[in-house]
Amino acid sequence: MTGVYLYGIASASERIDVEAPGVGGPDTAVRRVVHGELAALVSEVEIGPLTAARDLRAHWRVLEEAASSATVLPVRFGTILENDDALVAEFMAPRHDRLVAQLAELSGKVQLNVKCFYDEDKLLRNVVRGSPAIARLNERVRGKPEAATYYERIQLGELVAGEVEQTRVRDAALVMERLEPLAVAARNEAPNTSDSAVNAAFLVERAKLDEFSAAVTALTSEVEDRMRLRYIGPLPPYSFAEEETAAWA
Amino acid sequence: MAIAQAGSGGYVSRPRPSGLADVIDIILDKGLVLDVYVRVSLIGIEILTIDARIVIASVDTYLRFAEAVNRLDLQATDESQGLPELMESITEGGAKSKTKGALEGAKEKLGIGGDDEEEEESRPRRRRSSQRSRSRKSDDE
Repeated sequence: MTGVYLYGIASASERIDVEAPGVGGPDTAVRRVVHGELAALVSEVEIGPLTAARDLRAHWRVLEEAASSATVLPVRFGTILENDDALVAEFMAPRHDRLVAQLAELSGKVQLNVKCFYDEDKLLRNVVRGSPAIARLNERVRGKPEAATYYERIQLGELVAGEVEQTRVRDAALVMERLEPLAVAARNEAPNTSDSAVNAAFLVERAKLDEFSAAVTALTSEVEDRMRLRYIGPLPPYSFAEEETAAWA
Repeated sequence: MAIAQAGSGGYVSRPRPSGLADVIDIILDKGLVLDVYVRVSLIGIEILTIDARIVIASVDTYLRFAEAVNRLDLQATDESQGLPELMESITEGGAKSKTKGALEGAKEKLGIGGDDEEEEESRPRRRRSSQRSRSRKSDDE
């Protein structure tokens, strides 16, 4: 049994040609389903378990290619509908006007992500140096048998974790302070790895891309003593397509 | 194809299309969401997105932080001295590997390698990874 895999929503008036194969295999062609002013990017898919790595990559490639020439609202990975009629009836028709408005709002804008990472060694070193309490406890625990210092070590770790968290909050605030003014919208996501300091998404006007990049470059120098930056994009507005819909639900 | 490793110096770094490993959290976690009943959940995927969010604050984490701090050579003025060894020990048994494990595990499970990894992985690896997700899922249910 086949279904319709949905990648994203674009405006019907914009030309989109996607050559990248869709989810499900190298021969899967991506096509459009047009309803009113909207065009959904879809491909046929065999309903059943997808092969995660390959299909995730296909989903990503299709959206990258589509977004290179048009404004596309990405749909969450793994969204499959029964057929074209269901797609129109259950998704495109009820949300038509809101999606059109959202496309207009996002037109000419791209998502840029800035991820900052700590060098764990430097981070912990600074934490110990900055807190006499931690330094003292660290000395007391050091070199003693683990069993004899179990609770002290928990206490030490808790203090360190607290300091690390505070450092993170400060650094996130700094990144937002430097970059948010240049963006139309910004979102600071929760860090998802222990060495991740900041994980922020910015919606930026294409025309302001150079200015934003210059600010990222300046920020990179400013924090290079303690953080590594990754500057990712331009991406379709994954992080900014989400919120509106969630609010409607 | 690489991420712009924003560096210092006189040039302005530009963002570039990144590797899948760099955007996987965004792809799995963001985008328009349809009502649940029309979504078909993929094997492993729901679990992965949840996994990736977990950065636990627990006794385990605290103990690992303590261990990592204990191992710091605070006298060392040369930052590079003893660093590889330290990093290795942290990575292998310490706080980093534990808390980082979730997303890294997700990548591993999906057969997604390092930063610049590109295009298809070998088939056996892919198949194995989906099987692992499956058994994982049934464990969790």
